[in-house]
Amino acid sequence: MAYQLYRNTTLGNSLQESLDELIQTQQITPQLALQVLLQFDKAINTALANRVRNRVNFRGSLNTYRFCDNVWTFVLNDVEFREVTDLVKVDKVKIVACDGKNTGSNAAD
Amino acid sequence: MQSCIFSIMTPVFSALQQLYYDPDMDKKNVAQKWLTQAQASPQAWHFCWALLQPDKVPEIQFFGASTLHAKISHHWSDLPPGQLDSLRSQLIAQVGQFASGPKMVLTRLCVALASLVLHVLPETWPTAVPDLLCAFQTGEGVTEADGQARCLALLELLAVLPEELQSSRIPASRRSQLRSALAVDWSLVCSLFQQLLQRPDAPCPIRERVLRCVSSWLTLGIALKDSEVLLESCFALLKESDIISQPDCQRFADSLLKVVPQVLGLQEQLKKAVQDGDMETSHGICRIAVALGETHCRTLLEQVDRWQGFQALVSMIMSCTGTPGHYPVDETSSSLTLTFWYTLQDDITSLDAERQTLYLQIYRPVYFQLVDVLLQKASFPRDEDYATWSADDKEQFRTYRVDISDTLMYVYELLGPELLRNLYDKLGTLLTDTTHPSSWQDIEALLFGFQSIAETVDVSYSDVIPGLIGLIPLITANNVQLAETIMFTIGSLAEWLADHSLMLASILPVVLHGLSNPELSVACVSALKRICRECRHDLHLHASDIMAVSQAVLVKDIHKSPQCMWIMQALGFLLSALPSDELLGKLLSLVTPHIQQLEKLANEPPSSANKLLIVHILGLLANLFSTFDLNKQSERLEVMRPVQTQPHNDNPVVVVLQQAFPLIQTILNKWLNEPEVVEAVCAAFEKSLKTLLHDFAPLVTQLCELIGQMFGAYPQASALDLTRQLVHIFGCEKDLFSPITALLELITNITISIFQLGSRDHPDVVESFMQLHTQVLRRKSDLYLSDRLDIKAVFYCGILSFKFPETPTLKATCLLFTELISHCDDIPVVREVLQEDGKLLLQTLLEAIGGQSPSSLAEHFAEVLFSVSRNCPSMLSLWLREALLPPGFPSSHLTTEHKEHFCQQILREQVSKRRMKDIVKEFALLSRGLQGTEYAASY
Repeated sequence: MAYQLYRNTTLGNSLQESLDELIQTQQITPQLALQVLLQFDKAINTALANRVRNRVNFRGSLNTYRFCDNVWTFVLNDVEFREVTDLVKVDKVKIVACDGKNTGSNAAD
Repeated sequence: MQSCIFSIMTPVFSALQQLYYDPDMDKKNVAQKWLTQAQASPQAWHFCWALLQPDKVPEIQFFGASTLHAKISHHWSDLPPGQLDSLRSQLIAQVGQFASGPKMVLTRLCVALASLVLHVLPETWPTAVPDLLCAFQTGEGVTEADGQARCLALLELLAVLPEELQSSRIPASRRSQLRSALAVDWSLVCSLFQQLLQRPDAPCPIRERVLRCVSSWLTLGIALKDSEVLLESCFALLKESDIISQPDCQRFADSLLKVVPQVLGLQEQLKKAVQDGDMETSHGICRIAVALGETHCRTLLEQVDRWQGFQALVSMIMSCTGTPGHYPVDETSSSLTLTFWYTLQDDITSLDAERQTLYLQIYRPVYFQLVDVLLQKASFPRDEDYATWSADDKEQFRTYRVDISDTLMYVYELLGPELLRNLYDKLGTLLTDTTHPSSWQDIEALLFGFQSIAETVDVSYSDVIPGLIGLIPLITANNVQLAETIMFTIGSLAEWLADHSLMLASILPVVLHGLSNPELSVACVSALKRICRECRHDLHLHASDIMAVSQAVLVKDIHKSPQCMWIMQALGFLLSALPSDELLGKLLSLVTPHIQQLEKLANEPPSSANKLLIVHILGLLANLFSTFDLNKQSERLEVMRPVQTQPHNDNPVVVVLQQAFPLIQTILNKWLNEPEVVEAVCAAFEKSLKTLLHDFAPLVTQLCELIGQMFGAYPQASALDLTRQLVHIFGCEKDLFSPITALLELITNITISIFQLGSRDHPDVVESFMQLHTQVLRRKSDLYLSDRLDIKAVFYCGILSFKFPETPTLKATCLLFTELISHCDDIPVVREVLQEDGKLLLQTLLEAIGGQSPSSLAEHFAEVLFSVSRNCPSMLSLWLREALLPPGFPSSHLTTEHKEHFCQQILREQVSKRRMKDIVKEFALLSRGLQGTEYAASY
């Protein structure tokens, strides 16, 4: 199953809002809405794994890290993000990372 | 019941008729909706069989089978008691019936049967799998179909059984129970598969189906030792070319631990496939080799006595990485291998020190070879070939190069500075060898390698960078790709240059020369910006050159607007580090031409072309001011000269802004109704405010007046945002705050009148207004003690804002109320309004939670409720029950019990915000009738 963490993005939230509305007006069933969401998970995982290669570098000091249920979480302080042309400084950043190796290829199957 | 079924059959048939054959989409949709409802009805348990009758067309039979599956998987609990046995035997009989086709009906029936098995295993029908094997192998009492058809039907069933387990939503504990139950039957199933594979006369469709079954069953986590013989048979099949392209074969990788020799045995076949251009076969073999290497790298690496086998596998994967031709046009396999090289490197570097030294002796040369292979693969094709590539191919090639770049960066961790030396030597040879003229592609690839590493790794340990910088000006950049890579490489060395400023003199001319070439725009401008950002303290000698060239390209309009903005940012960095006596003069010489043009535009009649130009010039100024940061400069100076005085009384940016103020006013007078121009003006001030901070003080009064005029004439969100910045920075400065207070009063009154007239068309103004007052409450809440600021009116505006559908507006409103309520003790008027109209607030909140607003915002509403519960609990206990009293409020899905339960939970919760969020979320789902659905569970 594809990761569901991208549901909490602008795109994912908008989709869920639309699905909620369609369920409310009884145009689709919750089961169908769920299938749409699962399809969204699959599509966005594949797209992010295969279509995006923008790179951003960052450095900062590592405050906390943990690895639980195959999910890495890092909390960083005083982070500098460097994109080719831009530099952004942030006091605190939380990074949640899952293993993307399998999602892309599975979804491609 | 019979009559009841007959009465529903006719409409079912006619709806199916419409669904499949009616050309009218509306009718199709109505039919679809009706059929979905019919499927959910209890009669569906009965009418599905009638649809499966042999005299029906396959579409109708398919719907019958789908209905069966839907009933079994989603309405299992509706099955009348005592009906299980007859359902089971009828379903098995139907699978037998359709053994010879149509395939789509057979598959659906098998999925339905699999779903049934998963409901009754292992308690009710522990011997499900053996029973089914037996039934279909003998065929007695099941079907009259011939042996092969029965066998294929059985294999279809066995293939979908584990798949159904994977795809249906079952609680984790039940899933693992089912998995173990199925694993018990593996030996039986395995021996059937083995027999079928080993039968010399087995037809190809049966073998293919068996392979699909095996891969399906392997997902259950079957023990490898139980399957070795079977896997051997599978490998034997791989040699047959018509089966190799089956994607299922490649999934065996999980279990290939002991089959290295067999994988190596595929090398000849791989070679031949590559020679013949048979991409399908080479891709398949490559996947098998990579999957084995990736999955079992550590295990194989540690098998010291089998090291030769593993090394052979590593070189096989190397040959896959180096598959001849260009990705993605000639081959697509090489990209599969990249992850393997990370895995191998990780496994080697995580060994204990002693073994690591030993392994590094073997694998360092391998990784050096890998670098060569990767750079070869990353190199561009010949110009004439590249010209024929589609845009899609070019994009894929670009992402492939980024993947290679990432791999090289990681490999540097293993090989260290020696890798850079290696690249440098090769580049030197290419550039100095006059007997063999080198192609631009080879030079580009080596520079790409450098850039990949220098982009992220600290290259200060390498002694070859000075040499590289010496070589770069020798390259004849007669090609855009090569020239771009040169620029990106220079950009990636910006940090190094900051520590070795002497080298700037030889490299800057390359960048400045490229700046006049529009084809190199992005690469060249970004290199300049990075150099100016990192090396600004050492650019004094070059400042005039940089400024002259930059000014020239800006005037000549060589670059697109975003790149012009970057140039201004670069110049901002550059100027901010110049000695203070030169600052103003240089800044004025830079901005004067632009300001003159702005003056000219201000005097011309408004046109859309003029508008674009004005916005562009204002953007240039805003970007210049965003990086022109003297505070940063003085931070650095403090280290050397601790007695540096602050603040900068005559900050040059302030001087420029003061001079330009009348001009800006003139522009605004003309363009007040154009949001883009107003936004551009506000952005110019906001950017300078962010860098100037307290140095901005001399401009505050003027700016407040300007904002007041702007907002009075045409209220826009950007003016509110700029005011928020002013409150943020000058919130604690008494002397400066009176103009800000006056402005705040003015724009609050204006916004309130917008609400009175109808604010629906201005969600952005409403959002910024809410944010502004949140900021005031945070930074300077005592302003609300005066009667000139009408916080009650703000409260009612907030209530209206809760009805907006725009998510950002709602979030801002929630934040305002959270902040406002926390002041109910120290601001009497807040307390008053909450006492008077707390019920209205609660009603509005409940309405929003109960369905009026998106359910994803529930947690923001929970924050407001939590703030009420923490800061004025008496209000909650007073109003909550009463607010919920009207039947059907806030949603018809809620019963009195639901509401009472919600009240109890909310009134109890004063400690945990998380708990409050859960309660509100649950209530939001209940209100939408979604509670308990799988869809809601996925929230």
